[in-house]
Amino acid sequence: MGIAAFPDVDIDSSTGDAERNERMSSGNAEADYILGGGFPADSINIIMGHPGSGKTIFAEQLIFHNAGEGRPILYFTTLSEPLPKVVRYLQGFRFFDEMKLGTQVIYEDVGPQLAKEGAPALIPLLKDAIQTLSPKIIVIDSFKAVHDLAPSVAERRRMVYEMTALLTAYGTTAFLLGEYTEDDILLYPEFAVADGILELSRRRLGNRDERYFRVYKLRGSRYLEGAHAFRITDSGLDIYPRLVSPRIPEGYEPASERISMGVGGLDEMLGGGLWRGTTTLLGGPSGAGKTTIGLQFALEGARCGEPTLYMNFQENPTQLMRTIRGLGFDLEEAQAQGLDLVYASPVELQIDSIIVDMFRRIQQRGVRRLVIDALGDLASAATDPQRLHDYLYALVQHFAVSTITSVLNVETKGNTISGNGMQDAMSYLSDNVLLLTVEGEERTRRTLRVLKTRGSAHDTKVREVEISAAGLSILE
Amino acid sequence: MPSQHPDTRTLLIAERDQNVRELQQYFLGEAGFAVEFVDDGQAALERAQLIRPTLIVTEILLPKIDGLALCRRLRDDPLTRDIPVVVFSILAAAGRASEAGANAFLRKPFVESIFVTAIQELIAAQPTGAMEEQWA
Repeated sequence: MGIAAFPDVDIDSSTGDAERNERMSSGNAEADYILGGGFPADSINIIMGHPGSGKTIFAEQLIFHNAGEGRPILYFTTLSEPLPKVVRYLQGFRFFDEMKLGTQVIYEDVGPQLAKEGAPALIPLLKDAIQTLSPKIIVIDSFKAVHDLAPSVAERRRMVYEMTALLTAYGTTAFLLGEYTEDDILLYPEFAVADGILELSRRRLGNRDERYFRVYKLRGSRYLEGAHAFRITDSGLDIYPRLVSPRIPEGYEPASERISMGVGGLDEMLGGGLWRGTTTLLGGPSGAGKTTIGLQFALEGARCGEPTLYMNFQENPTQLMRTIRGLGFDLEEAQAQGLDLVYASPVELQIDSIIVDMFRRIQQRGVRRLVIDALGDLASAATDPQRLHDYLYALVQHFAVSTITSVLNVETKGNTISGNGMQDAMSYLSDNVLLLTVEGEERTRRTLRVLKTRGSAHDTKVREVEISAAGLSILE
Repeated sequence: MPSQHPDTRTLLIAERDQNVRELQQYFLGEAGFAVEFVDDGQAALERAQLIRPTLIVTEILLPKIDGLALCRRLRDDPLTRDIPVVVFSILAAAGRASEAGANAFLRKPFVESIFVTAIQELIAAQPTGAMEEQWA
């Protein structure tokens, strides 16, 4: 409730909740980002999803975050789960604070009364709670269970109307949890009156599950559309907001500085090195030398004192360290100079979590060079080809705007880079495309060819390369 | 029944939302106020002239005379010009409420800790002489 006292009257607005923000945090920074800054204060929101989708955990994370001095938070459990069961599992989460229970967070099991008196009993229960507790947040878990108690459509609608009128008149933010499906949005009247609708969903993918957080509706908010992956941890929901293309800053101009790839002879083929902030697709079959070039590019960055990130899904850390030492580099020194080696097992990959982790590292360390080894692992982690394409496009745009020079390795089936949807798309999106080949039976012959450099002339010849203890280099 | 005589604790409230009324009735009653409700601006003006309440609370969205016009009419009438008025509305209209002569503006929804405190402080801020004169 906003307040404006006019000049001749001095009302102390610090009493009560006059300082409340217009938006209420969910207690989850990533969810708040997706919601456009949190939930609108004094709104009515539905959190829908199948059993086990994370609805209750999300609501509990929210209430314990917002519990504090002043008005308490009321959590009505209805017919879906008995109160002792709710509280027993709640204790396993780090946000749970026993000191807040019973004073700042009040759980009430209204299931028995609703079972006895039916859905209309909810309204007097709410009125009584408002008069006796003055709750700033009310959660009803499950509201669908209450709804299903009403014997007729007319009674359901009346109950929803009366509840909405009451919750709109009183300054409280309400969350109605329920095991609704997408089809229910058109059928149940509570969806028409809700200010916000969130869905938590789960999809089986082989031996693992993928969970998604989606906002269907949030009045008065610029929210981030689409499906955002999440995991449930002992901290609550760990959400990975979907990567979207960055806004191009006003006055943005591509960098006019060239940097070395750290590979003997390659800079000359590229017309003097890579333009800073460009993305290079480095393709080739297994054993052609992609990882070696990627490492040389990364180690050159470290040598120049540039924070460098090497995202590796191919070789485990021990294998990679051995490779680095085999190239004659001092790994500890390179790491001290700014090299960050990150390994993630392709088996455990979830593209959203990898991307979010990568951007956190980029922001925290001010990364200037980046290697992803290899894109195919990200592709295999993505269940939706269009989603992968959108991610890759957004990635390249972020790198360009942030002036991060990137090398993205991709394994080809033969000595060609086309014929695969992801590779074709990346060839188009990348500023530079390099192709390594490997052939020969008695003697292995490796070559490198520059297929494309944006904004630069380049060597058009196929050059033979050599991999030695000093790394990969171009032969004359 | 509404009092025909000045009552230092009687509030006149022009409000049509039954849920808001119930909340106001309950929490103002808890704070020791007597409350009389009217449905529209015309009734509010007539009741104000007759009973001269301690304070008037009005929504803007009212039939017959809207809440802002009600403020202006109250200020134009010597019988009611000194009665403090709080505009309590769903509309964000603090500036217009001030221009109309309201003493304070509160935005809905209802939060008792803000609403009751604001009313108590407005009443406390009234000059004692003015109150006595008003009741004379």
